[in-house]
Amino acid sequence: MNVMIFSALAEPHRLDIIELLSDGPLPVGDIAERLELNQPQTSKHLRVLTGAGLVQVQPAANKRIYQLRPEPLQELDTWLETYRRIWGVKFDNLDAYLHQLQKVENK
Amino acid sequence: MTEHNAAYDMSTKMEDNELVITRVFNAPRDLVFKVWSEVEHLKNWWGPIGFKLSYAKLDFRPGGSFHYKMESPDGFEMWGKFVYHEIESPEKIVWVNSFSDPEGNIVRPAFSATFPMEIRNLVTFTEIDGQTTITLRGGPINAAEEERNFFLGMFESMKQGFGGTFDQLEGYLAKVNL
Repeated sequence: MNVMIFSALAEPHRLDIIELLSDGPLPVGDIAERLELNQPQTSKHLRVLTGAGLVQVQPAANKRIYQLRPEPLQELDTWLETYRRIWGVKFDNLDAYLHQLQKVENK
Repeated sequence: MTEHNAAYDMSTKMEDNELVITRVFNAPRDLVFKVWSEVEHLKNWWGPIGFKLSYAKLDFRPGGSFHYKMESPDGFEMWGKFVYHEIESPEKIVWVNSFSDPEGNIVRPAFSATFPMEIRNLVTFTEIDGQTTITLRGGPINAAEEERNFFLGMFESMKQGFGGTFDQLEGYLAKVNL
C-alpha cells in the first residue's frame, strides 16, 4: 500500500481534480479552467497525483491529456474492506457464541 | 454518515482519526463483558474463523496482557498480544493489540510493511432492553512516522474526499471503473 496515495488525496484541490477526471480524461488547461486554478498550480497538483500513481498523462498532438488510474483507489478500498471484514468475522463469532451460551443457560 | 450492513447489523465510520465499528448483540451486558474478560470464553470466539486458539494466557487487569497463538488446521501459526490499559467492568476495555512472537515480543504483521504494529482499541459496552451495543474504536499508537501517515492519510482522504463513509468511496470506485 502506497502511503503517497493518502497525502496526495488529502489536499482538497487534488481531490477536485480526481473527481473531475472521473468523468473522463482532460488536458491540463481544461482542468485549470474548470476548477478556477491557475495553470502552474494545476500542473503542480497533477505532478503529485501522477507521482502517487493516481493519474497518468497521455501526450496527444501538442497537448498533455490527464486521465485517472483507479488502481490505487481500489487498493485503499481493499485495505479498508479487509479491516472491516476482520471485525465483521470476529463479531459474527462473538454473536454465535453468545447465542450458544444463552441457549445453554436457558435449558 | 455511517454505512449500515444489514447482514452483520454492523456500522463502520471514521471519527477523530479512528475507525469506529458499532454492532448490537442480543445478550445482556454482563454476559458480553464476561466473554471479553475470561480466557475460557475468549478462546471460543477471538481469532479468525477456522483458527484455533491453541495457546491463551490471560492476565485481565490494567497493565496485564493476553497472549495467544492462533493455529489453522493446516498448521499455520500466528501469535498475538493484548496489553490492557484500562478496564472498567462492565463498561469499557482499552487495550493495545499487536502481533507477537511466542515469547510475547511485539512483531510486525507479515502481511504489510506499513500497517501499524500496535493498534489501540477502545471498546465500550452499553445495554438497552437486554441488548448490548459494542462500540469499537481503533487507531495506531507508538507508530513510526510512515505508519502514522498511513493511518492519518487514510482518515484524511476518507474524511475530505468521501465524507467519512465507505459507501461513498465504494460508489465512487464503481463510477471510476466505468
